[in-house]
Amino acid sequence: MRMTKKVTALAMTAVLTASALVGCGGNDTPNGQTTTNAGTTSGTKTSTYTGAAPVTEEAGTVSMLAMNSWYSTVDLSKDAMILDEIQKRANVTIDWNLIDPTIYADTVSPMLAAGTDLQDIVLLPDLDSNMSYIKSGMFIALDEYFDSMPNYKKFLEANPDIKAALTATDGHIYYVPQTVVTNNYQPCMMINTRWLEKLNMEEPKTLDEFVEMLRAFRDNDMNGNGDATDEIPMSVTSAYLPYLFGPAFGLDLVSGFYADDNGTVHYAYYEAENYKAYLEFLKGLYDEGLLEMEYTSLNRDQITSRCAQDITGVTFDFSWQMSTLYSAQFADYNGTEGIFKGVAPISGEYTGYYVGRTPVSGIFGVTKNSGNVELAVKFLDYIMGEECQDLYVWGLKDVTYTETADGNREYLPRCSEDTVWYQQLGINAPCMPSQQSVPATDVLLAKWHVEVDKELEQYIKAPFPAVYATEEEASIISLYLVDIQTYVEQMNVAFISGNSDMSTFDSYLTTLKNMNIEELIKIKQDQYNRYMEAYK
Amino acid sequence: MDKTKKVKLSREEKRKLLRKNIHRDKYLMIMFFPVLLYYLIFSYLPMTGLVMAFQNFIPGKGLIGIYSGEWVGLKWFSQFFQSVFAWKLIRNTFLLSFYSLLFGFPIPILFAICITQLRNKVIQRGAQVITYLPYFISTVVVVGMMTNFLSPSTGIINQIIVKLGGKPVNFMSDPSWFRRLYVISGSWQTFGFNSIIFVAAIMGISPDLYEAMKMDGASKRQQIWHLVLPMIKPTILLLLIMSLGNILSVGFEKVYLMYNTAVYETGDVISTYVYRQGIENKNYSYATAVGLFNSIVGFSLVCTSNWFSRKFSGSSLW
Repeated sequence: MRMTKKVTALAMTAVLTASALVGCGGNDTPNGQTTTNAGTTSGTKTSTYTGAAPVTEEAGTVSMLAMNSWYSTVDLSKDAMILDEIQKRANVTIDWNLIDPTIYADTVSPMLAAGTDLQDIVLLPDLDSNMSYIKSGMFIALDEYFDSMPNYKKFLEANPDIKAALTATDGHIYYVPQTVVTNNYQPCMMINTRWLEKLNMEEPKTLDEFVEMLRAFRDNDMNGNGDATDEIPMSVTSAYLPYLFGPAFGLDLVSGFYADDNGTVHYAYYEAENYKAYLEFLKGLYDEGLLEMEYTSLNRDQITSRCAQDITGVTFDFSWQMSTLYSAQFADYNGTEGIFKGVAPISGEYTGYYVGRTPVSGIFGVTKNSGNVELAVKFLDYIMGEECQDLYVWGLKDVTYTETADGNREYLPRCSEDTVWYQQLGINAPCMPSQQSVPATDVLLAKWHVEVDKELEQYIKAPFPAVYATEEEASIISLYLVDIQTYVEQMNVAFISGNSDMSTFDSYLTTLKNMNIEELIKIKQDQYNRYMEAYK
Repeated sequence: MDKTKKVKLSREEKRKLLRKNIHRDKYLMIMFFPVLLYYLIFSYLPMTGLVMAFQNFIPGKGLIGIYSGEWVGLKWFSQFFQSVFAWKLIRNTFLLSFYSLLFGFPIPILFAICITQLRNKVIQRGAQVITYLPYFISTVVVVGMMTNFLSPSTGIINQIIVKLGGKPVNFMSDPSWFRRLYVISGSWQTFGFNSIIFVAAIMGISPDLYEAMKMDGASKRQQIWHLVLPMIKPTILLLLIMSLGNILSVGFEKVYLMYNTAVYETGDVISTYVYRQGIENKNYSYATAVGLFNSIVGFSLVCTSNWFSRKFSGSSLW
């Protein structure tokens, strides 16, 4: 009810303002520099665009709806040097609507649901896996404009996996992706190596060794402050627990759905034996105090402060945090030797691995009704091209990096010293279709960290592939999946904390069955088969 | 106004009277107009969007999309009632409101009676100000305070429990504590403010009546029972009916801030479910249907309680 009111009110006000504007301006262009104008008249003039700047000879404007910086003190819509440079080169002014990343999905979904007054280029709030936005017809099929998109065409030819992931069930491509590295710098377990050395212990390889290590962390005065009770052996948020322990029980709890070696799809939270064993193991840790009571509300800030006080031994997070956040908390960290260091995954009855990511992390669409499609398409193509990718990674010459005589680049010291300034330039801006690359990440990080990453690369396993759902599948998925996930999440905590007794595990499985989980597994199996087919 | 006079008015006269009244009250009406507009635009117009509950809404079609979806009848309603959550959500919503009402409603009345019996005006005013101040603390801050005070490792409550030899309790993620915490913190925050209306009602009782009771030798207890309570009965009933209407619309914000997956069993209510389904997962039509169900039940509760009240006590909202 509340929601309806809000959405309708939003739509209403949007329409009201729109009609009011139309009423005032009539068909005249109020500012002289309107988007409609640029789109229609420049069509012939700028057909010279070949993938390099400028995008248009006559100055134009493109409006964009996207994510602002993850740093709350940074506003990329103003004075972002790199983004300004791009606009200058392209001869296009961006009319930004940047939204805080933490509320992005909640803010943008209703805007898209209303569907009016949208920006020319929109960063979608999710990957549209149910094709609901594609079906609504609000975004143009980009493949029909490939003549104006030389960079993107080239990119797709070079990356068939991404092309397969982005091709909708109707055969069209609607979105330009933001991509991330998939086999490097993934979430991994990090251990306080000083504590390990102090105990003269090896890195744990199995669940038993791991528990033994946790007990040692708990019972000894690891930080040497004279108090043997202030050590918190393990600080892992509830989001990363499945990464840490799932694989040792043969479960990919991160993807939820996963395919085994025979290509049969399973739902990890519906595995009668393995999942039960997993829950029993975690309940054991919880009862013994090795998994803290407040683990469901634990967050990165708390872990960071624990590292600063040297009171925790194990954590699990994106590799990136290893050197830049956790190790950096130690006063005597000098950048040459890691303190919190990534280690190999733990194995149980099954061999451990780390769950990687799918390459596409965000998608940009061009709004059909923007009246500025031609220019928007070209501009989007330009900002995803190599020239701009270079800017996203390296920034500007003599501002962020210098070039040595032999053509090698080096970041200037201010980049690592003044994070806010560095981010304010628009480096790796989340509002742009950037492509993460391993070499570009390597140069940013401490040497030991890069070595650890290359060592861990072998343990990464790809997650369940992202595949577009057909209309029929989408309606069934949206019907059942949300409720199932809620129920599973809730019972997961209940079993571990003992609010639900393990003896009720069978009734948990029955409930899942009644919630039509088997129908969903069948759909996921079909999708997986389609994906494998597309790869042959 | 007596009825006889009204009946005698002819149509012509009525129209004249109306015109006269409009002319007389034109400034009042101009002042009222924005209020009317506000309710039309923000309350009544959006209500037409409820048709979404019977349609398959596809996002992105703009305003027309809200009214032009494919009709699916009661599909979303039947989906909701078949879901394992339906019963739990209704139960949680109902119990949370019911307990809030049960414990939250009498406290302001008792407090108002106590405070008005105080002789010392300074203490009376002071107590009133101190108790209604929490009302002005934002819900976010209240929940933040709860999280801090109740934390098993660093919270002051748990430190006291440990000092007394007990085991720390994880209040915020224990389903059995959710309702208690919700009700207690809610009462704490609002009882001072809610008592203001009762204090006013009690203050309005004529001193002559007290005087008369004292003359007849009534004790303090008898004064309260036979004078104060009957005098504020209409106020109590009025407020009770109004809060009954809200019984299925528990404060979304507070539940949303307080709950986590660990306490869904007791903490998940219809409005949070609607939020998760609608805003987070974009099942707009389904969420609308669930929200509509919530409103219908709330509406019928008001009507029933109003009917009861009119029948048994003579005072009612309409």
